[in-house]
Amino acid sequence: MAQSLSAECTPLKVEYDSCFNAWFEGYLEPAVAAASSPDARTAYSKRKADEYDQKCGPVWEKYKACVQKAVKDKGLDVLLQQAREEHPLTEPPPLPPPSASAHSSAKTA
Amino acid sequence: MKFFSQSFLYDDPWPIVSLAYFLRYPNPYAAHVISCDVISRTQTSSGTLVTTRLILKRGNLPRWFPQGMVSRAESWVIEESEVDPFGKVVNCRTRNLDHVKIMRVEESVQFHQNPEGKTLQHTEARIFSGFGWGLTKKIENHGLTRFKANLQRSREGVSLMLSLIRQSRLQPM
Repeated sequence: MAQSLSAECTPLKVEYDSCFNAWFEGYLEPAVAAASSPDARTAYSKRKADEYDQKCGPVWEKYKACVQKAVKDKGLDVLLQQAREEHPLTEPPPLPPPSASAHSSAKTA
Repeated sequence: MKFFSQSFLYDDPWPIVSLAYFLRYPNPYAAHVISCDVISRTQTSSGTLVTTRLILKRGNLPRWFPQGMVSRAESWVIEESEVDPFGKVVNCRTRNLDHVKIMRVEESVQFHQNPEGKTLQHTEARIFSGFGWGLTKKIENHGLTRFKANLQRSREGVSLMLSLIRQSRLQPM
């Protein structure tokens, strides 16, 4: 795990990351039955969310508070806000032209 | 604007490739990554996991670049990802937050499981420069060359993580 952007947050980051990674490994491989119906999916997701909150929630809150403070102190919150307003990440990128969807391609527009 | 796309097939199933992708920092192929933090993470009502990470990367300026334009060759990068464990898809979008007038690089990566149980990675990049001074094209070309080289290194990093995960799973607990 890489460093945190603020040295004082690194121990919390390391602790949080290792908790998350253990949870994530299971999250990535839901039992086949969990995907059998929308209800089973919802129940499974709820169970995983609860498990995450219980195991990693406390350290996440501490780590998040530490990073949020560091982000503010470095003035990065302004940069993040600007970036979100200018080019929201939620918006899907425009589709590439059909000729560019080949196996590997590069072009100039 | 320069556009680039490339597909790559991993022999491993989707859950392990996705795990390796999220664990890829640090690795010896990513020495340029100074820091990496999760700034938000939520599980959506449909059961997907949405994560925003803030990454600081060290960059190198090309020799021909005008001196004194950039005080430090580091760049903040934001990465937003969505993981769907049921549909077996990871979507990840990345772009730099600073030095955007000189060059903006937007990358989108998707991992999904194919019918043979292997994992297809599809990467797209869009590189823009608004620099002017007759250097726009040169900067965009440089960005593209660097992007391709970095993509290769990034894949080597993921492959290394994959082999480490495989090894650790073979060991008895």
